Amino acid sequence: MKPPIFIMIMTTVVSGTMIVLTSSHWLMIWIGFEMNMLAIIPILMKNFNPRATEASTKYFLIQATASMLLMLGIIINLTTSGQWTILKPPNPMASNLLTIALAMKLGMSPFHFWVPEVTQGTPLSSGMILLTWQKIAPLSILYQIEPSINPNLLTTMAIASVLVGGWGGLNQTQLRKILAYSSIAHMGWITIIMVYNPTLTLLNLTIYITMTLGTFMLFMHSSSTTTLSLSHTWNKLPLMTSLILVLMLSLGGLPPLSGFVPKWLIIQELTKNDMIILPTFMAITALLNLYFYMRLSYTTALTLFPSTNNMKMKWQFENTKKMALLPPLIIISTMLLPMTPMMSILD
Amino acid sequence: MLKIIIPTIMLMPMTWMSKPHMIWINTTTYSLLISLTSLPLLSQPNDNSLNSSLLFFTDSLSAPLLTLTTWLLPLMLMASQFHLSKEPLARKKLYITMLILLQLFLIMTFTATELIMFYILFEATLVPTLIIITRWGNQTERLNAGLYFLFYTLVGSLPLLVALLYMQNNMGTLNFLMAQYWTQALPNSWSNILLWLACMMAFMVKMPLYGLHLWLPKAHVEAPIAGSMVLAAVLLKLGGYGMMRITILLNPLTSFMAYPFMMLSMWGMIMTSSICLRQTDLKSLIAYSSVSHMALVIVAILVQTPLSYMGATALMIAHGLTSSMLFCLANSNYERTHSRIMILARGLQTLLPLMAAWWLLASLTNLALPPTINLIGELLVVMASFSWSNATIILMGVNITITALYSLYMLITTQRGKHTHHIKNIKPSFTRENTLMMLHLMPLLLLSLNPKLILGPLY
Amino acid sequence: MNLFASFIIMTLSMLTMPIILTSTPIYESKLYPQYVKTTIFYAFMTSMIPTTMFISSGQEMVISNWHWMTIQTMKLSLSFKLDYFSMIFVPVALFVTWSIMEFSMWYMTSDPHINRFFKYLLMFLITMMILVTANNLFQLFIGWEGVGIMSFLLIGWWYGRSDANTAALQAILYNRIGDVGFIMAMAWFLINLNTWDLQQIFMIHHDNLNMPLAGLLLAATGKSAQFGLHPWLPSAMEGPTPVSALLHSSTMVVAGVFLLIRFHPLMENNMMMQTITLCLGAITTLFTAVCALTQNDIKKIIAFSTSSQLGLMIVTIGIGQPYLAFLHICTHAFFKAMLFMCSGSIIHNLNDEQDIRKMGGLFKPMPFTTTSLIIGSLALTGMPFLTGFYSKDLIIETANTSNTNAWALLLTLMATSMTAAYSTRMMFSTLLGQPRFNATISVNESNPLLINPIKRLLLGSIFAGYLMTLNIPPTTIPQLTMPHHLKLTALTVTLLGFVLALELSTTSLNLKFKHASDLSKFSNLLGYFPTIIHRLVPTMNLAASQKLASTLMDMIWLEYLLPKSISHLNMKSSITISNQKGLIKLYFLSFMITLTLALILTTANFHE
Repeated sequence: MKPPIFIMIMTTVVSGTMIVLTSSHWLMIWIGFEMNMLAIIPILMKNFNPRATEASTKYFLIQATASMLLMLGIIINLTTSGQWTILKPPNPMASNLLTIALAMKLGMSPFHFWVPEVTQGTPLSSGMILLTWQKIAPLSILYQIEPSINPNLLTTMAIASVLVGGWGGLNQTQLRKILAYSSIAHMGWITIIMVYNPTLTLLNLTIYITMTLGTFMLFMHSSSTTTLSLSHTWNKLPLMTSLILVLMLSLGGLPPLSGFVPKWLIIQELTKNDMIILPTFMAITALLNLYFYMRLSYTTALTLFPSTNNMKMKWQFENTKKMALLPPLIIISTMLLPMTPMMSILD
Repeated sequence: MLKIIIPTIMLMPMTWMSKPHMIWINTTTYSLLISLTSLPLLSQPNDNSLNSSLLFFTDSLSAPLLTLTTWLLPLMLMASQFHLSKEPLARKKLYITMLILLQLFLIMTFTATELIMFYILFEATLVPTLIIITRWGNQTERLNAGLYFLFYTLVGSLPLLVALLYMQNNMGTLNFLMAQYWTQALPNSWSNILLWLACMMAFMVKMPLYGLHLWLPKAHVEAPIAGSMVLAAVLLKLGGYGMMRITILLNPLTSFMAYPFMMLSMWGMIMTSSICLRQTDLKSLIAYSSVSHMALVIVAILVQTPLSYMGATALMIAHGLTSSMLFCLANSNYERTHSRIMILARGLQTLLPLMAAWWLLASLTNLALPPTINLIGELLVVMASFSWSNATIILMGVNITITALYSLYMLITTQRGKHTHHIKNIKPSFTRENTLMMLHLMPLLLLSLNPKLILGPLY
Repeated sequence: MNLFASFIIMTLSMLTMPIILTSTPIYESKLYPQYVKTTIFYAFMTSMIPTTMFISSGQEMVISNWHWMTIQTMKLSLSFKLDYFSMIFVPVALFVTWSIMEFSMWYMTSDPHINRFFKYLLMFLITMMILVTANNLFQLFIGWEGVGIMSFLLIGWWYGRSDANTAALQAILYNRIGDVGFIMAMAWFLINLNTWDLQQIFMIHHDNLNMPLAGLLLAATGKSAQFGLHPWLPSAMEGPTPVSALLHSSTMVVAGVFLLIRFHPLMENNMMMQTITLCLGAITTLFTAVCALTQNDIKKIIAFSTSSQLGLMIVTIGIGQPYLAFLHICTHAFFKAMLFMCSGSIIHNLNDEQDIRKMGGLFKPMPFTTTSLIIGSLALTGMPFLTGFYSKDLIIETANTSNTNAWALLLTLMATSMTAAYSTRMMFSTLLGQPRFNATISVNESNPLLINPIKRLLLGSIFAGYLMTLNIPPTTIPQLTMPHHLKLTALTVTLLGFVLALELSTTSLNLKFKHASDLSKFSNLLGYFPTIIHRLVPTMNLAASQKLASTLMDMIWLEYLLPKSISHLNMKSSITISNQKGLIKLYFLSFMITLTLALILTTANFHE
């Protein structure tokens, strides 16, 4: 892809999301979604091969359907209230349709099937955008229509997502699929708290994006897309192995790391709303995710994969890829926990 | 508390900046100094706790455990030297860093005033331990062991987090110092029973309770020496410490809920110690013996009398030092015979007489020979459970007998008998190893002069 | 602090000197055994001073207390109780040990670790001293367990032999069962009386003392090898002979009896426990005497005789005469130690041959040993005016005249008669007749290290009883008048035993070898006790621990119930969830179903 084209496409992706975030008019929001969707397709097809084509076709179909549903919701809202503004909470019917459309865009549980396949079909960098940036716009809309969301609907989808994300990832060896399932599970955590404390949704999203970005960058750094190739990291980039370990544990939400912050705050918020069984269930289900993260860290950091002699020397060569963002990302995505008291302003 | 925490943190840069031949010496010496600075905490002249800040405090319950933690770091470093001698420098440093990190987390866990902070640090100790077990263990089973270790603990403790947050919403605080004045009695209802279970199961898994103990032998057997040591000496005690702290909030439900767990741990104590009788694997034997001793601690804590708390605290410290020493001894055998099978190391007394003396003393403390603190702990526990129900003396008695049997069985199998041919040209024991054993044994013996230091809060 | 305490402390601290000096060069030198022996001799002399003062002043007891710690309301102190029992026992034990030490210098001279052996023996003695001088249960327990552990080390001294290790483990196992009783008693006293101090325990009245007393009796049964927990005592003969001598005379085995003597103030008002004690002692004394009758190992015969005498001591406690039991402990120490030394001398000279069928005719090459062995045996059987007579005769007379269980009394009398019988058999086979050992063995008994201790104990075996009874009248006064036939019963049954055994031995010399009778098998195989208990119980226990605890519970149930089943469940769900084939039509179908369902459910609920 030529740089000018790439810049243009990226600008469109970003500005699509920006339009969604900033507009108060439903039509503009819809347009923003469409811009974003259309622009991301070439990025998904960066490596021109049949898999990428298939993946982007699927993505297009799903997102188009979701957009149509969104439009349907908007129009129903228009017919009942007679106005396009987002500031007024939509009526229940419209709100449900909107929720479902956005859940489809987010890849939440009953609508999750496309996420692993699309992610697997695209290159790592595109997958990174898919699983991070693309979540912002739908979540911002969910955040804005939050007062009218049907809690039962959203909670059901969230729980299903956590379960599917946990179980689906157990059976994978492909890194992108694992991350896709991890994203499904995280979406569950992010949306479960939406109706109770939407601010925590933003916090969780931020931390999720940071961690996922860091993970993807690490994988891009070592150009590995399978567990097998990742297990060779130790003779290429020995330092990376320990970073992968820490990041994985943080993604899994183990206490001293940042990944625990949203889980903690979410559980606290849920218990405040007199829910005991739900957070317990979710927390236990999150262990499924931890299990496959652990498996990744086992293969990379905690065991030394057998390798041939000339492979062993690779660490001596200068690494050509520079990831300037990696250090701050890793620091933020692992060491944020002591800052938690400062996040009380989010309440 | 910062005078312990900050030097511990600074140990990490020191490790990375030390010259290659100095890393062991530097870290060992300085960690020993840190442990010396923590000794004054043992003196807790009044019943109130020693509050260092809003976040950290010590009292007579946590101070001995804290001192044990700091005392153990130099010992772990000494014990690991041979194990790591063939590793590259960076990995040695990483290993030491993990140990230091673990100590840091443990110190803060034992001194935390807030239950949520306690919980976070309690979980935080998992990470370095997991890394130590799975990265530096010897067999491939270590991976499975690491998973068992992590997931048993986590499944047990996640409900605790929810329960803690729930209680915080109800009470407004989870501060240890405040909580005891703020608690409301928990009446006997289904939801409270679930609350009790959620609060206790985390620690029961950690202790571990019989039935939930499978992770422990696996983790112990597969862990490298430092991992086994710290696991047996301190990490299991986190469970006991947590239980003792949290039962304050759970009264009077505990006396009702204790029955099944009491029975389970007494039954399990006999089961696990009889498993010891049939073990061929040295480390597995020591691990199962830990399970059986910890069952005593569970019983003591559930009985909830002042005597039983004293017994539990004393037994925790005593067992910490003893089992850690036994693991060191097992490791010194392993380094020579390259096998954990006891029968392959028989007759070592002929070749390594001084090591045999350490073995003897370690076995004797393990079977609670008077006047060691192990005996004081066990005796108080037996008294407490006897006062709870006279019939428990039968189970306790059986356990005492079996404990003596397997401890001496272990001694006889490894040290006595004719030595085999393949161990004829083993290395003599190093001064390092003898010092290590001495440093384990000395506190055991000295504490038996004044056990009051480790009896916890004397009500 | 007065003279009593200071001299006793001096004695005890003197004994610890050689142990403290372990780290100095003297421990490496050849002089260490000599040093230990001399230390014990001086300790003996020192301990005589307070004992003499005690006898002449007639004090009840001296108690010294040092505060150790206070747990809640209970004060634990380091306290010594110097009364009749401890003041008499300490010099007796020191005297006997002194001789045994000297004997070991001869017996163990070729052992490379002789210094360590002496240290162990000394520690054995010290723990016993702690036990007898203790004034509270905790201190007593220290001595109690210490004795047990030291016996483990000493019995397993030849650690290369698996038999020795087994015997040592056996000793610990049986003792440990007894310890459970001790701990139970401690727990009971702490909970009900809130004290471990002996005087306080005796002072406080409590209605039902059955439980602690049963615990103490169990403890004594374990330590003093009473019936049921007795098999470790003969097995302990695997240790070196000096160990057997020390173990059987003045330490370890008498500890159990001593414990019951200490607690007689509680026992004397509890008829039920007394009867149980009496019956237990009677069964033990008879059973072990029966076992001794057909043993062929010379050390085992003596071991069983110890066991039988311990039974007699327990009987004495059962009839409420602790002072007599104590007297028997003291007198027994002298001749039993000597008997072991004589057997040691014989065994050593015959190149470690212990079977009495391969001895015989030793009275010519070893006249001195012969003399001592005979005098020791006679003292054991209670021949008038030897040491054993003063205690044993009194015990049987008291038993005869007390209104006690006739059945138990009968058993005791039978055992007394058998004592004479097996002693005769032993003397007859080893000393008299034709030599049956290898002719090339050169026998000599000229070493002063061997002769002197035996000589000393020989004098003790003859005069000690007289001296003790002369100087220290028993505090509980025995029956003074009785009919002739009762007075002479003890002597009569003993003589009967002598005559019968002699007769049988001379007759059986010319008999042909026949298959052993059932009775003889019963006796020779120790009443089938080890066969049953040592095979069946461990087999069952070990099988249970292997099959039930280890395999069934840990490896199958617990493993499958939690981790395996959870992982299986999750694996299945995971396969189901991630089983998607990329067919986008199906996805859309599922989307449509979900959409329809969701809309119907949510909208229907909220609007109609």
